[in-house]
Amino acid sequence: MTRLEFYDPSGILEVSVPFAKRLDSLEGKKIGFVSNEQWQAYRMLPVLKELLEKDFGKIEVLPIDAFPQGNGLIGNDETAALVKKSGVDAVIVGNAA
Amino acid sequence: MGIPTVTLTRSDFVGVMKNAVSGVGLAPDAAMVTFPVNMFMPGSDISAVEARKKEFYDGLTKWKSNFVRPGAAAKMLEVEGKSYEDALTKANNLLLTSLWGDGLPVWPATKERVDWILQGSVLPRTHVLGKFPPRGGVTTVEIVAIALAMAGGRPEYLPVLIAAVEACLAAEGFDQLQATSGGPFPAVIVNGPIAKQIRINSGFGLLGPDPQRPAGASIGRALRMLQQNVGGALPGVGTMAIFGSMRYTNAVFAEDEEGLPKGWQTHAQQRHGFEPGTNSVSVVFASGATNVRRRGAKKESPEEDALNGMWRMADFLRAPNLAALAGWEKGTPGIMMIAPIVARRMAEVGWTQKSIRDFLWENSRIPMSQMKRAGAPAWIEIDHNPVTRDSISLDPWPICQKPDNIVLVVAGGGHPTHSYWLQAHSPTVEGRVIRVPETFERLLTDADRDLGCGDDVCRI
Repeated sequence: MTRLEFYDPSGILEVSVPFAKRLDSLEGKKIGFVSNEQWQAYRMLPVLKELLEKDFGKIEVLPIDAFPQGNGLIGNDETAALVKKSGVDAVIVGNAA
Repeated sequence: MGIPTVTLTRSDFVGVMKNAVSGVGLAPDAAMVTFPVNMFMPGSDISAVEARKKEFYDGLTKWKSNFVRPGAAAKMLEVEGKSYEDALTKANNLLLTSLWGDGLPVWPATKERVDWILQGSVLPRTHVLGKFPPRGGVTTVEIVAIALAMAGGRPEYLPVLIAAVEACLAAEGFDQLQATSGGPFPAVIVNGPIAKQIRINSGFGLLGPDPQRPAGASIGRALRMLQQNVGGALPGVGTMAIFGSMRYTNAVFAEDEEGLPKGWQTHAQQRHGFEPGTNSVSVVFASGATNVRRRGAKKESPEEDALNGMWRMADFLRAPNLAALAGWEKGTPGIMMIAPIVARRMAEVGWTQKSIRDFLWENSRIPMSQMKRAGAPAWIEIDHNPVTRDSISLDPWPICQKPDNIVLVVAGGGHPTHSYWLQAHSPTVEGRVIRVPETFERLLTDADRDLGCGDDVCRI
């Protein structure tokens, strides 16, 4: 038999950031949207906003355009800082397509 | 940020999402609610959003990552066969089924082969060049050598590949370039004596295979393997490149510096300020390739032949390539390749690199009425760069901010009929100096021994 030993070419991944802890409930929480305003986000995200407001008491859902929109803007540090500063408890991101 | 998120995404976009999150240091996993592509089209039925609302709520309250943390070192793989050929076949099958191949046969990256390749590095094998986006795989010199080994490379190619990787990792928006549906590919322009020394083509057929100048194919293929295997740009999973042109080997070629007319500068000097004789790479992200028949067909004078050809080139550039908006201010709309004999004849009738660029820029401007007809202003309005957004007031609209954005390279076979336009999706044009080890001369001698005589001597 001939044996061939060779390297896995995929390299390694370093996981350095933990995922955020999930919320106990959405009741009474402040929810934001980060939208790229593409791929029908302008239709789908408002539906989710309405549903959240209907399904949970005392929930505060920020307007869809509360933060900068667009592929070039939603991933940058400035937008992240604005989201953090807003005090939202959770964020829905859309639309990744 | 410490804020829980859930993402509304397309079912076949999950790989892109996983790459995106692992690229910022999270585990390659995320709370997602996925829908088929049809729902993301204009006029679609979006009632599923309401029907599956609980999944969004759960994503923010109950979701848990299923990612299992891997080991810290590169793994070794192993196959056994009845013969060497059988083992080689099994190795290739394993690489393909693990989604690490490209469909062409590869050399398994054995320790012996990788150690040989690493003779071409001035950096230690454990040196980290960066994280390869969007997946964020740790990009060591060793993993670069592994890719080059698989791609059939040699140690003297490694300095060019390392410089190209460094340029890619430094490129603005490289994570998005890797994943985007437009499918840009790195076009690596090599300047300096190293191009001839290691047999990178600058002449006939420079974008394709050439047994007398095989280096570009291996270097470009290795770069593509890194993009896929370490960066996660797997077609339809980690990259949404709809067509994905030139992605077996990317494009790695040299400028024909000997063919430059007197007084013309190398691309590396013009774009990056590198002195002539400096070994360097310059990386443009191209998204297409177009042949331009520029030569006259009848009794044109040299002046008419040059001018007619320039108009035909400008006419090819005068198109609303909206992907090029990414490089409108700092990058490039593309690479115009002019064959050395054309460059010399044009120089003889007074054309300079500056006047060629000025002409192409001025005469590729698009009337705003035509831009509006094509719906192009909407893309300008949503561009993230305010300088690009402001360009909407220009009529006719220029395809880039200034003539110098256009990359002009003298390369190609010694024949005057065609020029070549590699249109771009390139936010920047990154240049890097190539560093060679002290033992480089020996590596070149070994190459002569293994591959026969070099370059011009071998011409049939």
